[in-house]
Amino acid sequence: MISLNINQKDYQVDADPDMPLLWAIRDLAGLTGTKFGCGVAQCGACVVHLNGEAVRSCVTKVSRAAGQKIVTIEGLSQNNDHRLQIAWNEANVPQCGYCHSGQIMSAAVLLRENPNPTDEDIDMAMSGNICRCGTYLRIRKAIHLAAEMQRKESSSR
Amino acid sequence: MKHHPKTKTHFLPKRTAIIIVALLAAVGLMSFELTGKHDSGKIIVVKDSVGSVAAFRQVYKVLMSPRCMNCHPAGDIPLQGDDNHLHTMSPRRGPDGTGMYAMKCSNCHQPANTPGLHTPPGNPKWHLPPADMKMVFQGRTPHELAKQIMDPDRNGHKSMDQLIAHASDTLVTGAWHPGAGRTLPPMSYKAFKKAWITWLTKGAYAPPGK
Amino acid sequence: MSAQNISRRNFIRSSGLAGAALYLGFYLPAAAKESQIVSGNAAENGGIELNAWIRIGADGKVTLTDHRAEMGQGSYQSVPQIIAEELEVNMADVNIIFGQGSQTKYGSQITGGSSTISSSYKKLLQLSATARQMLITAAAAKWAVPASECYAESGSVIHKPSGKKFHYGELVADASKLEPPKDVVLKKRSEYKIIGKPMHRRDTPLKTNGTAIFGIDKRVDGMLFATVERNPRLRGKVKSFDDTGARKVPGVKHVFKVQMPVFNTIREGVAVVATSTWAALKGRRALKIEWDDTGFEHVNTPDIYKKHEELLKTQEGLSLSKQGDPDAVLNGASKKIDVIYQTPYEAHAAMEPLNCAAWYQVDKIEVWGPIQAPDWVQGDLAKQYKLKPEQVTVNMTFLGGGFGRKAFLDYPAEAVIISKEINAPVLVVWTREDDITQGPFRAGMSYRFEGAIENDGIAAIKVRAAGQNIEHWNGPDRGKPNDSISEGFLKPYLKNIKNVSIADVPYEMPVPNMWWRSVYASTNGFAYESFMDEMAHAAGADPLEFRRKYLQGDESCQALIDKLEEVSGWKSREPNGGYGVSITECFGSNVGQVVKVSKSDSRRLNIDHVWAVMDCGWYVNPDIIRAQVEGSIVMALGAATTHEITFKDGMVEQKNFYAYKMPRINDIPPIEVHIMENTSDATGVGEPGLPPFSAALTNAIFDLTGKRIRKLPFDLGAVV
Repeated sequence: MISLNINQKDYQVDADPDMPLLWAIRDLAGLTGTKFGCGVAQCGACVVHLNGEAVRSCVTKVSRAAGQKIVTIEGLSQNNDHRLQIAWNEANVPQCGYCHSGQIMSAAVLLRENPNPTDEDIDMAMSGNICRCGTYLRIRKAIHLAAEMQRKESSSR
Repeated sequence: MKHHPKTKTHFLPKRTAIIIVALLAAVGLMSFELTGKHDSGKIIVVKDSVGSVAAFRQVYKVLMSPRCMNCHPAGDIPLQGDDNHLHTMSPRRGPDGTGMYAMKCSNCHQPANTPGLHTPPGNPKWHLPPADMKMVFQGRTPHELAKQIMDPDRNGHKSMDQLIAHASDTLVTGAWHPGAGRTLPPMSYKAFKKAWITWLTKGAYAPPGK
Repeated sequence: MSAQNISRRNFIRSSGLAGAALYLGFYLPAAAKESQIVSGNAAENGGIELNAWIRIGADGKVTLTDHRAEMGQGSYQSVPQIIAEELEVNMADVNIIFGQGSQTKYGSQITGGSSTISSSYKKLLQLSATARQMLITAAAAKWAVPASECYAESGSVIHKPSGKKFHYGELVADASKLEPPKDVVLKKRSEYKIIGKPMHRRDTPLKTNGTAIFGIDKRVDGMLFATVERNPRLRGKVKSFDDTGARKVPGVKHVFKVQMPVFNTIREGVAVVATSTWAALKGRRALKIEWDDTGFEHVNTPDIYKKHEELLKTQEGLSLSKQGDPDAVLNGASKKIDVIYQTPYEAHAAMEPLNCAAWYQVDKIEVWGPIQAPDWVQGDLAKQYKLKPEQVTVNMTFLGGGFGRKAFLDYPAEAVIISKEINAPVLVVWTREDDITQGPFRAGMSYRFEGAIENDGIAAIKVRAAGQNIEHWNGPDRGKPNDSISEGFLKPYLKNIKNVSIADVPYEMPVPNMWWRSVYASTNGFAYESFMDEMAHAAGADPLEFRRKYLQGDESCQALIDKLEEVSGWKSREPNGGYGVSITECFGSNVGQVVKVSKSDSRRLNIDHVWAVMDCGWYVNPDIIRAQVEGSIVMALGAATTHEITFKDGMVEQKNFYAYKMPRINDIPPIEVHIMENTSDATGVGEPGLPPFSAALTNAIFDLTGKRIRKLPFDLGAVV
């Protein structure tokens, strides 16, 4: 048994130590918001936060994550109200929607580390996430929107 | 942000970084080949420009192989593959060489190689040289690269000791365990290390030319 | 991809099941010829199952059905948005569910041909207006006032003079007993409050917090996970396999050979079933399989195109259309163009790899999955297992992209085969490698275009296309030309060019083909619109003016060109400033695009801007249309510059995104989409934005550099 802390909840999973974290999250913990896209860290559909970093869970062994702090899309906010989630809705970003768990988890790290990202910063942060529907321009727009919300919140504090 | 150590080894002159110690006895030769150190623990440099340059020519082949050069790119995006194409996902070097934002090296590159073809190779400290010390290999001539490696201002402030030790760094040795489907450097690790130390201990001469 | 037009042959029916709710939908009786409205009582007495697009509960809860697949194109929003308008309910107050696969309930459900809105909207407007009228009639009767004094708004009926109000829930018991009215008055477009508005999509919140359930997320009690190692040569057999290693993997429960139909061929593989996807994948890696790849051709991509070229040099082909005498004009012409354009094979590579959950239980089958054509899957499985359609339940989940691939029947069929073998529910997951290498693929094409120029204009065009015919996978008739080889080419051109011939040069190859977003227009668009550009250049004409000239008499094309000129600043552009234009038609919609390119110091060719003008007639949600055009352009950019499928010794060479490279955020130019306002009927939205892009791009490159690109894909970084 391996102990995983996902979204501040403890899970005991019966997993091979070499099982990728992705499959432990999806098939054993039953959290299906994190997606399988390529299996080889090419597309970013499986991004989760491991101690705050946007790791590709399809190549991260569950043993690396044991006892660490894991956050999935389901745990990004309580009420779907993380500013990125609000911005995604505002800019009508998703089409099929499959890649957006990973897109949003990647964007969350960007916003934490750079509250005022330029287009170039966004490209730097998001070039590891593929969207086959081609929503990239709206992803960029939504990140700017979320950054703006973040700035307004912090200036009104 | 991590800062690269800027320690300068006090006994080294800035440009050449060479200490000449007389070769006193032959007893130390065996270990010397692999450590550059005499049994006394001191680095022994015996100037031999022909031998040194010949050794660097071997070293250069390895450094310019994809396993080394791909993480010593001219730009801020690492390279991939035997054709040294830009890394498909365009991760950036970042200030400390460990990537940027959602694109940090260790987000994909695990402590060990991920099994399978076309999966991320691994190392616990996978990174590029930092932004203030890029240590570019790509596009360098043998002359330029040798000069660069011996210049503490461009080699990460490494002393002779540290340069020799660098040959045993796990990121360097990792080139010989690159993960399935990747070509190895053009000579064995042992041959490389020998050439590296030979080059340094024979005076670290740069091949002539530009 | 013709959607059966059933709108004129539908009955509207209502049903007041125990008075608890008002259901309203269409029913398609076998012998029906005219649209007719039948009462709910009659429906119940007749024992007819209603399709129920609309369900209003006694609690006032309104549930609207999306009968089409939601694969990104927005049916989950736009179908309810149509219904809510005439039904007079707020979008925020409705529940939306997916319809299960049923041809008799919904008519055609295939989400293809960009047909969701264009083939459904009139009957959906009619249906929802009928429901509204019934609710008004019921309210008027309760109040004993004339119905003309009542109106509906926000889920209530209001008596105008008195201000009295009934919520729909209070009316359903009475309304459901009414005869649906035969003539209802539809709103004028100017009265729309919901249709035509860029409302937020109702599925977005589900897609930002992980709650949207895609096929791969479906879980059923007792479900196992499976993966299949299929023959890499697509139609080869399993000679033998050793599962010793696979069975040692903890969690692996079953290993067995499976055969699945792929059109008229059989594909063989070995399935590994386990308690988790990972255990199945690990078990699969431990399999040792010997394949039998005898008895069919092992194709190589260079040979395909060599053969195309040979055929185009030597064969006249099967004539699809001919007017005038292009051969004679070409023979006598002093100025001629004779060129070949080539496009690659492509995989769909939706972000959600193929997968399907199935549970075979002898007298019934249930399937859950990312399925573009649930009614087809139902029919196919019923036939396969000799069951009645109602014994086969096909549930659509959200689709993580489809692009045509998920309209194919192989993966649900395979999931049922595996469930039957293990006697348990199973989710069969394809890896990305399976998804990219197993096809079916968009056919790569070669085109020979000959053109004669006289008096600075087109004297004749002769087109020959060589490539696989998708239709040949469904039927044996090899004597007919592929009637899709001019898809994309604007029809008004044919009115203004005297001598034109278009012919299909048949080419057969054992690689399965399937629709790929915009189908043949995705490849034709490049060839036809590159050629129009070459002809314009040869005639010394402005490329857009040249097109205008040959589209004269067609008002909508002229208006589209006006708009394109206006938004792109076409007329004030610098000479050889890197502008290219292309206009195509796809599923009834015309789309024009202008691309502007430049060269930066780093020598890399840069796409500075894309202007797109979409004419899709009547429309529902302009922001969804803009999103579809943006996405189509990105997909076209990939097919033009970053990815292609190639074969070597019968196997696909690209296995995953490292070799089948997708455009990424840093590759995307600014895209500006404009929608034409007009009164025409609704036409396609999801696909028509794709066909014009690649030619607009290469025409722009020609304008800037003088280099004509005639083969896709090409490397943007290598254009000099």
